[in-house]
Amino acid sequence: MSPGAVAITGVGCVCAPGNNLPECMESLFRGERNFGAPTRFVSDNAAAFPVFEVADDLASLETRNTPVISRTGMLSLKAAFEAIGDSGLDRESLRSKRVGVCMGTTVGCVMNNETFYRAYLKGQDPDMADITRFLQSNPAAVVAREFDLTGPCQTIVNACSSSTDAIRTGTLWIKSGICDIVLAGGADEMSHVACTGFASLMITDSSPCKPFDRDRKGLNLGEGAAMVVLESEGVRRMRRKGARAFVLGSGASCDAYHLTAPHPDGRGLRRALGEAIASSGVETKEIAFVNAHGTGTQDNDRVESGVLRDMLPGVPFLSTKGYTGHTLGAAGAIEAVFTVACLERGRIPKSAGFSNPDPQLGVSPAEREMEIRGAVAVSESLAFGGHNGVLVLVMGGGPT
Amino acid sequence: MRLLIQGMGVVGGFGCGTDALASALSSGHCAPRNASVKTSQGPLDIAVFFADASRLEEFVNKRSLRRVDHFSKMAILGSYLALQDAGKLEEDRSRMGMIIATGYGAARTTYTLLDSFVLDGETFASPTSFSNSVHNAAVAGVSTLLDITGPGLTVSQFEMSVASALITARCWLEEGSVDSVLFGAVDEYCDVLGYCWHRFFGERATSAHDMDPFNLDLQSAVPGEGASFFVLSRDDGGGSQYGCIENAHLGMVEQYTEGPDGDNTIFFIGADGHRECGAHYKRFLSGHSRTACYTPLYGSLPTGPAFDIAIAALSIKSGKVFPSPVKNKGPGNGADNEGRLPDSGSICCVKISNRGELGTVTLKA
Repeated sequence: MSPGAVAITGVGCVCAPGNNLPECMESLFRGERNFGAPTRFVSDNAAAFPVFEVADDLASLETRNTPVISRTGMLSLKAAFEAIGDSGLDRESLRSKRVGVCMGTTVGCVMNNETFYRAYLKGQDPDMADITRFLQSNPAAVVAREFDLTGPCQTIVNACSSSTDAIRTGTLWIKSGICDIVLAGGADEMSHVACTGFASLMITDSSPCKPFDRDRKGLNLGEGAAMVVLESEGVRRMRRKGARAFVLGSGASCDAYHLTAPHPDGRGLRRALGEAIASSGVETKEIAFVNAHGTGTQDNDRVESGVLRDMLPGVPFLSTKGYTGHTLGAAGAIEAVFTVACLERGRIPKSAGFSNPDPQLGVSPAEREMEIRGAVAVSESLAFGGHNGVLVLVMGGGPT
Repeated sequence: MRLLIQGMGVVGGFGCGTDALASALSSGHCAPRNASVKTSQGPLDIAVFFADASRLEEFVNKRSLRRVDHFSKMAILGSYLALQDAGKLEEDRSRMGMIIATGYGAARTTYTLLDSFVLDGETFASPTSFSNSVHNAAVAGVSTLLDITGPGLTVSQFEMSVASALITARCWLEEGSVDSVLFGAVDEYCDVLGYCWHRFFGERATSAHDMDPFNLDLQSAVPGEGASFFVLSRDDGGGSQYGCIENAHLGMVEQYTEGPDGDNTIFFIGADGHRECGAHYKRFLSGHSRTACYTPLYGSLPTGPAFDIAIAALSIKSGKVFPSPVKNKGPGNGADNEGRLPDSGSICCVKISNRGELGTVTLKA
């Protein structure tokens, strides 16, 4: 194991496929796609843009956070409860350690409550509860308050790579000795503003998305959250706790090219992927599969497949956004925990939505469920602003 | 690991550039301007420390800025000023990373986007406003203009954003993935923020007044906006006129423990006139003899602590502690009487939220 590896001792996930990670994986391997018209907001054009919502209204989730927090905050807690439970930790044991929280989000940090703003525009006196709720709902702060954690607390707003960057940041906090444990992940709720914004860019698909397919037309939005418990080797050994996986390496970069489009040659992604692989100490032939960003937009899929074709030729890849939709700031973490779960199963599901190879891409994602060979996998994210984030993960093992 | 401050660039209510900030520190005064806030009772005036980013045209062609919003303009200007100050405008930046801390992101553009479809319908939503409203748009804009291709990060943790983001900046330099970090903090005022100020703070928000941050029972905050940027690198022993960032820390105020220099530290208090934070600052101030506060020069904004870091760096450069614009008549009033740096050269910038979250950033000569 690379000396820089950081253990993942717990995972949690909630998104359209399921309310926890086992449910999600069962759903993925059944090939289910739980999409529909948005139910959490009213849209002029709802039928045209299918979304992947979490069915649970989360009303039964018991939290110590008061007053009421946003749905993004509740999704964060849902994933955190599962991950902490999975790690065998509890509130008491967390309080006795140096625990940081690092969360990625997009919607969760934007003060754009529509109900409030419409009333404001009409010259009314809107209820300030909407603003108070926003101020109480910073995702990292919500998790820290819930568990009385007083270590570093950081919410990363790097658009669609936010939670890949959050997991990478968490590993750096562990490696630098700042923290014993970091709860790292991401969360985003379904947002009318985000849906409308992506539609204005004309990069949404009016049918279920088709990542890497010849006929792809764009993305569908989704919502959800995922969390990993990152743990120092010292604490893990003291607890005699096995790891579900290790973050072996990571990389991040800026394209320095355009506000919304990736660099046409994937300049930034190549760098981030190269750094991640180099820092992991693995050879490319050891990589069993790649959980790609794969949004289903023309630009993303062309650039990403070009980089994978050149840098990881022959390595199977898939996009799981055909099952989850694009969950924005949560996407990187959701895909990272899916990657861990696939390594444990030794299989990856088919890349949902793909059926027709695109001759311009030169490579195709997994057309059907397949067995994987090896214990190492890559999860990668590309984002608005030209951010790229890559994680190299390896299957875990016993307590030592 | 210590982070060397190689250069810095600031723009805020006090003006643009470190000279403007030093001038405001020397005069001890900065006057806010009035902004009109739309309320259900009609328009009201509110005092605001506005930042003017027009000097950006010294660095970037005006035409290439036509789709860049005020938030990003402040960030780009701060970045150019910091790189210029560090003598790094012409250097290759492929081994530079970039981090921006912000409390609210591009607030004006967020509401411009909402206007575009709330008023006219979804099909009229502005794609330009949507792209620019995303929190990391400023990092994207700066990195594109300056060809910064290392990692990029935007952190949003309200009042703790600056201390939190500095923790990660240090990790990047420690990890060795970058040789330097362009670190910035940006927040902007917008009409909706002014309206919220009016609703939350009533008369105290809308009447013209001076901030009185050491009067911890009084709501005297005046909203501010601006940007503070720093070029940070590993301390290779070469030193810097601005000193270095020794440490950044987050925690709760009741758990605060003294740094290694103890009483030999001066504390720059980030109290910015919010009464709801007063009790936490009282607790902190009671344990320290030397404090100063400069918020009346730049106003109240989540990323205000970055201005305090700039002021601390200027203090180290000049070898003196600037007088607080408002006298502290309570505990911790020792700084005003002395005007010199502690023997340790240690300055700790302190920010406390209304929930008692504490962020500290310690600089050393």
